[in-house]
Amino acid sequence: MHTTKIIEVKDVSFAYRDSDYVLRNISFGVEKGALVMLIGPNGSGKTTLLKILLGLLRPTQGTVLLFGEKPSEVRYKIGYVPQKLDFDRTFPITVREFLRFSDRKATEAAIDSVLESIGADKFKDKLLGALSGGQLQRVLIARALLSKPAILFLDEPVSGVDIGGEQNFYELIKKVKERYKVTIVMVSHEITVVNTMATHVICINKRMLCSGNPKSALSAKTIEALYGTDVSLHKHKC
Amino acid sequence: MTNLIHMEFMQRAFLAGMMLAPLLATLGSFMTLRKMSFFADGIAHASLLGIALALICGATPFLGAIIVGVVFGLVVFFLERYARLASDAVVGVIFTAGMALGIILISLQPGYQPDLISFLFGNILSITWANIWTIFGVSVTILLTIFVFFRHFILIALNDDMAWTSGVNTKRLDALFYIMLSLTVVLGVKLLGVVLVSALLIIPSITAKIVAHSFYTYVSFASMCAFVAFVVGLIGSYYLDLPSGASIVMVAVGIFVMTFFGKVIISGKRVAV
Repeated sequence: MHTTKIIEVKDVSFAYRDSDYVLRNISFGVEKGALVMLIGPNGSGKTTLLKILLGLLRPTQGTVLLFGEKPSEVRYKIGYVPQKLDFDRTFPITVREFLRFSDRKATEAAIDSVLESIGADKFKDKLLGALSGGQLQRVLIARALLSKPAILFLDEPVSGVDIGGEQNFYELIKKVKERYKVTIVMVSHEITVVNTMATHVICINKRMLCSGNPKSALSAKTIEALYGTDVSLHKHKC
Repeated sequence: MTNLIHMEFMQRAFLAGMMLAPLLATLGSFMTLRKMSFFADGIAHASLLGIALALICGATPFLGAIIVGVVFGLVVFFLERYARLASDAVVGVIFTAGMALGIILISLQPGYQPDLISFLFGNILSITWANIWTIFGVSVTILLTIFVFFRHFILIALNDDMAWTSGVNTKRLDALFYIMLSLTVVLGVKLLGVVLVSALLIIPSITAKIVAHSFYTYVSFASMCAFVAFVVGLIGSYYLDLPSGASIVMVAVGIFVMTFFGKVIISGKRVAV
């Protein structure tokens, strides 16, 4: 059977210093159109793995291919939403300017369209530093979508969103996937929404614990290896 | 006023300042957003080593300061990025080491050192035509580079990783920014001196932040503030017989204070800078 794996990770290990490994022997593949949740507890190496997938870090060993090429060669096919934007809140830049500077080919109509599609058109003339956590997260998604990426990477996207806004945010992610036909890889330490959100789950805790369909891959044993014995899965209406 | 313009040293002073003030403010606009004010201060102080080395070798002190300033700028860049050392720690070591070594070398030179005093406190009236051409060449090159890579420098200032995924070559452009900032600081030393140069990098940009509603207005307003501070400060220093560098800085501070309180009174809110 022909499969279209657009992300291929083979035997990847990473150490910031000699022998101090953050990741060991990570291998998985992601098919086109998947909604992947990369889960694991704090300090499990999720963000490091994401940085390797983005080409920001080079693996100590192993290979990462996106569309059969090195990540740095296909940056134009990648959209990235950071966990939080640590910037000077007095930075005098409007949302519209921010999007225009992010993609020089983007027209004003394209900027309006992407902002409207994620419900951020109301604050397009506001300063970036004046936005709330949830609003800023929407703008960062709009920025990532502007260049029409084939893969959208999101690093802990709900970390800056209030608890009430999380549900809306997950719904937004689903809408984005449908409208833009984009493969989504979302890093999260939140295990409770995996069954309702993801078509593919990857679990790591410095080493590979599972990869595949959430219903089959997320066994009680895997969850215990990830978070200990006191965690179980709840189903959200999403 | 007519007399002022007819004096050749004043013509050179005006030419140098009218090029340097907007350049300092433009680089300063990015620098303050990246919280690199201490870096600028460090490079200015460390350039004293270049002046000392040039005096020993019989070379032009200005050239010595430029070379050492850029070398130290690149050393800070590589230590921050690759040795993962904290920026303030790296700058702190470079700043003090450069200045200390400069003082030791100068103390070994016999007699009074007028170049040293002029670099410490600035002496815009001692600017030569050769200095003017250097300032012109470097200013035009840096401003053109900023114009070409404007959006890249903004994205790097916001978030390095995000800039990378937007196709920006972050490492090279970051190194280029450090070189440009180091060069600008050393050129500014000639105008305002080691002690006061960071004023024209910082004050116009924080003044502009108070009123700016977009990035273009921010950079434009900062450049305009620096230009006005320079012209008013230099003319004022001539008529009031005051030191030129200190007068320019005090005018810049005056513009900041008026803008700050003007905004507070008009908006009735607290103002963040």
